[in-house]
Amino acid sequence: MAKKLMKKTFMEPLGKNNPVFVQILGICSTLAVTNKLQNTMVMTLGVMFTTALSSWTISLLRNHIPSRIRMMVETMVIATYVIIVDIVLKAYYPEMWKQLGPYVGLIITNCIVMGRIEAFALQNKPMLSLVDGLASGLGYAYVLLVIAFVRELLGTGSLWGYRILGSWWTNWSIMIMPPGGFFVLAIFIWVIRETIMKEAK
Amino acid sequence: MNESIMPFAIFFASIFTGNILLTNYLGMCSFLSVSKELKTSLGLGAAVIFVMATTTPLNWLVYRYLLIPFGLDYLRFIAFIIVIAAFVQLTEMVIERYSEPLYQSLGIFLPLITVNCAILGASLFMVIREYTLFTSFLFGLGSGIGWFIAIIAMAGIRQKLKNAKVPPGLEGPGITLVIAGFMAMAFMGFSGMIALS
Amino acid sequence: MKKKDTFYHKRLYPLVFMVSTTVFCILVTSGLYLTTLDKAEANELSFTRRAILDAGGLQYENTTAGIEKTYTDSIEVEKGYYIANGTEGKRFIIPVQGPGLWGTIAIMVGFEEDLKTFAGLAIVSQNETPGLGARIEEPWFTAQFKGKQPPFTLVEEGTSALANEVDAITGATRTSEYFRNLVNRSAADAQRIIRGE
Repeated sequence: MAKKLMKKTFMEPLGKNNPVFVQILGICSTLAVTNKLQNTMVMTLGVMFTTALSSWTISLLRNHIPSRIRMMVETMVIATYVIIVDIVLKAYYPEMWKQLGPYVGLIITNCIVMGRIEAFALQNKPMLSLVDGLASGLGYAYVLLVIAFVRELLGTGSLWGYRILGSWWTNWSIMIMPPGGFFVLAIFIWVIRETIMKEAK
Repeated sequence: MNESIMPFAIFFASIFTGNILLTNYLGMCSFLSVSKELKTSLGLGAAVIFVMATTTPLNWLVYRYLLIPFGLDYLRFIAFIIVIAAFVQLTEMVIERYSEPLYQSLGIFLPLITVNCAILGASLFMVIREYTLFTSFLFGLGSGIGWFIAIIAMAGIRQKLKNAKVPPGLEGPGITLVIAGFMAMAFMGFSGMIALS
Repeated sequence: MKKKDTFYHKRLYPLVFMVSTTVFCILVTSGLYLTTLDKAEANELSFTRRAILDAGGLQYENTTAGIEKTYTDSIEVEKGYYIANGTEGKRFIIPVQGPGLWGTIAIMVGFEEDLKTFAGLAIVSQNETPGLGARIEEPWFTAQFKGKQPPFTLVEEGTSALANEVDAITGATRTSEYFRNLVNRSAADAQRIIRGE
């Protein structure tokens, strides 16, 4: 029973309850860095770490938090985890840290983190909340990685910084520019809703 | 002759070419959900301008005179979000007490703003780009105005779109994102506007 | 458990809870910050040193220790500039900074002994748009200045042919222009700093 619930909690955010293409949440902080696969990978790992652990922490405290200051406590916990991500990146991956600039800090206002805490972690047990947070982060990560894959490949002809397509390829510069991010995300949502979501109904 | 960063160039760039919503995708969540209606968009947009233009210089002061002297700059995420939340709460209380019509048109949007990434984003950009107090203010104001323009334009377009035939999979957020993409392209066209000497 | 409506539960408990959470969070982050402080500072130093080595066109092993070794072996620090004693003769390196689109761009420029020909160029810090203006950090962009003499003119990405032409970055016209102004100015700076003219 418990195992089944765990599995359901894990699978839902990956498919029919995906934070990005079903709920359209939390694209703010990461969409801006999806013109490079490597940056996207690090950012989504940061989001995953923050969502999972802050859900877990809040769930641990859920019976003790006074309801009036709930939001403030949540923000504090989230900010702490984000600062941890920031400090670790700065110390061990300084080049990545420089490239991401302010976007790491913006994980704090990522709606998914707060959204999962409010919708799930406040009502559920710590381990289950951890799984839910992790799965939401994963569901978020793979959508953005697909977007980054398309944008970097079409925009620069390379992946992970390595040239993949030959010299015959003309770079679609629009892809790495801001409008490209909107278009790729829109097309992705369209495809998903026309195919997978339709079957689910 | 040394060039320096021109505050007014940053002001215009943050409204048009470097629009915080259309080039940095900040504030997307409320943008997508609120832009359904023109009236609410106006209210939220105005609130964003106000909060951004005040909290960016406010955070500059906090950063420069509180965090840096004590070597606490790694705590800036927490400090900034607290400043923003407290400021928003305070403004809401003041408006509620003194002006009922202003509260009805602006105040009810204030709680939505604390979680708007664009506000925190403006403060974080301001720190990383090492702006002065005056430039921070212009940057905050410009970003706010840029956000305002983007959301009312989008709301206007979406009202026209109500009677249009959109493929079912693209309805709602999908088509909004496509329009935002075109708007971003149009805003990039402003890049020739500020001539550099 | 039923919550009692006492002073303790209504006022004191939330306050105590908030304060203790805040203190705990700050302790955790401060601890982490302090343990990684040395490493972060070493990284910062290593970044600057690597930029100096790159600008001087020196070969080195790309690790903190490797950079350190080559730096101490072949760099002389003078007032306001550096001298690199590499296998290809003496080179002069000066730090230059100027405005970019969003903030200051700081670079190291290496000159051959004539103080006109570029031996190399490296970015120390910049705040341009990721994926667009920030591409000035990519090796192909900085490498194209090597062996050329300013003043440079910008041409479309991938089309530079003449001796004083450099590729601009598509989608980052403004950053490319600022960068061109910066490098064009650097030769005069070098004359002034090194020769005292």
